[in-house]
Amino acid sequence: MSEKEKVTPADFLKRHVYDIAAYAGLIVTFILFLIFSGSRLSYNMATVLQAASAYSIIALGAVFVYSMGYMDVSVGQQVGVYAILMIMITNAMGGTAFGVVIGFLVILALALLCGAFNGAVAVWLKLPSIVTSLFLMFFFTGAQLLLMESTGTNSISIQATIKPADRNMYNVMLVLAIIVVAIIVTYFFKFSKLGKYTRGIGANEVTTAQCGVNTTKWKVIAYMAFGACVAVGSFIMLTRTGSAGKGTGSGYAMDIMICLILGGMPLSGGMKSKVSSALVGTFTYVLLTNDLTTMGVDLNLINFVKAVIFIAIIMVTCRKRDTILPR
Amino acid sequence: MAKATQHELVIEVKNMCKNFGPTKALRNVDVSFYRGEIRGLVGENGSGKSTITSIISGMQKATSGEVFYKGAAWNPGSMVEAQKAGISMVLQEANTIPNCTVAENIFAGRFDEFSVFGIVNMKKLNKAAQEILDSFGISHIKAEDSINRYGFEDRKLIEIVRCVSDDTEVFVVDETTTALSMEGRQLLYKLIHKLKDNDKSVIFISHDMDEILEQCTDLTVLRDGEIIGHLDRSEMDKPNSEQVIRYMMVGREIGDAYYREDYDSSHGDKVALELKNVSLGEIKNFSLKLHEGEIIGFGGLSGCGMHEIGRIAFGLEKPESGSVERNGEKIKGCFEAIQSGIGYVSKNRDTEALILEGSIQDNIVLPSESELSHTTFISPKKEKQMSDKEIASFRIKCGDGRQWVNTLSGGNKQKVSFAKWTAKGSDVIIMDCPTRGVDIGVKQFMYGLIADMKKQGKSIILISEEMAELIGMADKIIIMKDFAVTKEFMRSKELSETDMIEYMI
Repeated sequence: MSEKEKVTPADFLKRHVYDIAAYAGLIVTFILFLIFSGSRLSYNMATVLQAASAYSIIALGAVFVYSMGYMDVSVGQQVGVYAILMIMITNAMGGTAFGVVIGFLVILALALLCGAFNGAVAVWLKLPSIVTSLFLMFFFTGAQLLLMESTGTNSISIQATIKPADRNMYNVMLVLAIIVVAIIVTYFFKFSKLGKYTRGIGANEVTTAQCGVNTTKWKVIAYMAFGACVAVGSFIMLTRTGSAGKGTGSGYAMDIMICLILGGMPLSGGMKSKVSSALVGTFTYVLLTNDLTTMGVDLNLINFVKAVIFIAIIMVTCRKRDTILPR
Repeated sequence: MAKATQHELVIEVKNMCKNFGPTKALRNVDVSFYRGEIRGLVGENGSGKSTITSIISGMQKATSGEVFYKGAAWNPGSMVEAQKAGISMVLQEANTIPNCTVAENIFAGRFDEFSVFGIVNMKKLNKAAQEILDSFGISHIKAEDSINRYGFEDRKLIEIVRCVSDDTEVFVVDETTTALSMEGRQLLYKLIHKLKDNDKSVIFISHDMDEILEQCTDLTVLRDGEIIGHLDRSEMDKPNSEQVIRYMMVGREIGDAYYREDYDSSHGDKVALELKNVSLGEIKNFSLKLHEGEIIGFGGLSGCGMHEIGRIAFGLEKPESGSVERNGEKIKGCFEAIQSGIGYVSKNRDTEALILEGSIQDNIVLPSESELSHTTFISPKKEKQMSDKEIASFRIKCGDGRQWVNTLSGGNKQKVSFAKWTAKGSDVIIMDCPTRGVDIGVKQFMYGLIADMKKQGKSIILISEEMAELIGMADKIIIMKDFAVTKEFMRSKELSETDMIEYMI
């Protein structure tokens, strides 16, 4: 082994450009947040936390799928249907805590099933995962509309208490939920076969398979892990809104993708995938939205501004082909 | 460089350095290339040969230093720019565009020559491409065919055709011959000599010493990113030139202990791997018994079916009939194969054997994660220990296990693909062209490793296009032709390459 030579600051910068850009984005949006929040800082912080909680939990689960270089565009519709189903089941059971538990278990089972379907069908039919998730997206769009039609209203509310009455207590609960999910995801992503194999699949599926990894099985497991996070994220979202309707969850899939990219997740997956991308990206995204609002940007213009910032970040973090030392 | 020559200087490299992160690939290199010469560049893997040529041909930029081309400063932005200016390079790995026709590949980037108002005249394009193919003597390749129809060797020839034109001033051949059969090699040799005779400059990189000594007019030896010396034709013709060059390359005596010195082909009685009447495609009823402590070599021309045998034995290809068995259990796929202690070093190192965009450690531990996992937890410390042990025992040249595999040289990459299976403790290893594109130092190391494995009772299938390697290492050599076994040779001092060739062609 050759002696270890000193890494220059320029080399360090070059090697960590994506991480630096992602964290710089978070820091800048956070500084703007501090400046423009002014006297409403603590209120705004709670708002950001509540807005980010569901996103971050779903994005954490999505790390497994994105690290394989895959994506899932059905998340939004799944969130909508799970929220509606949970409300309907809980209400049908008299709004009891038992009803909430049963409701959650049902949506968890459904989410795991959809995850398994997404992973397995994509593998068996050799389809890109986006195609199967498109199928699920249409399926869940239909299911969401049918479920809401059956209620005869545009929106239904849960008749059970699913969040602490105290706002501070609720915020602590959200922070704990994010921390617990982040720890579980980090454990499985960094220290178990699941994360190592999903990254391997993203980096080179053929090699990973030739190392004795049953890639079909691990793809299905990765999608199921994502499904579990979608179920938890849907529940967290429901604790915030307390109601759901035809539009619940719309745009979530794209938002999750943007969060992960902002956090430095490579869309092609692979060994550079990181759990931190989910948290850094989600908070950057939510803070950015909050900053633009508090800065007084016209609501109609916010999406345009986001688009410009998004493109700018992509340009900065655009991955060049890694320098390859030829033979 | 002190070269008394009447030839005109075409490329001059001055004080060139190239760093890949902490690795210094080139250290203050000064070298000149002249018209009318075939300059061999030799050195161990990672010595910097390809780094120099890849900078000259626009694949990458130097960290510092200057290049002059035809007297002017030269700093190409891309390979296309270099090619337009007359510098072309063919690489070891496949570099053709899939799902396109042969003609489209040959004229990639030059469609303007065949288009009017943006509409490409395909008839004209195909005709021109076929004319070029014919002029190179490879008429069996048809311009209008999809490139997907052709094998690795033909694609390499198409690539060569694409690279060389009337405007070519400097032609770089980077370890291309390892992908070519004898016929393809002869074609390439003819071409480079024609270029030399036309006062062009050829830079020829190869690990095949015989080829270098036969084809080159001049030689430059590199070691650890530095120029060690130059030899002209008269020096190359001296009887001990090969030893001198090897010493310059490695910096120490390689010695004669290259292959196995013993001629003892005995092995254990227990069958480690058995193929029973296996049929797949054109392979019919193939049977094989590999015993413990036995090395079985497979030889033949590319396309003879030997590579397929390796893939079947590892469970990558499912036979239409017959079975692959180990310890009485049937191997249905590579998952079962690995679980039962079989390892496979693929011929396609960069696409199948390694995760290039992953660290050395990621690659080494990947097949062993199940053993390292304890109730779902995989200890990073144990992973590092396993990887560090292999890096040390294979003497992989790297900063540490976190270094990415795509920053390693070919020989070190190959060591990583070996290390995966030694780390796993595999008892049967199928090696498909394990020393392809690696230098003599690494080769010697690997042969030593294979011999040690045999002593430890491990079983090896050695598939190789190099007959000397098979003669030097195998207990039994199976020669294949047209997907069938034509001859079996037992290990013997008297066995020569000519004995084997007649059963190959």
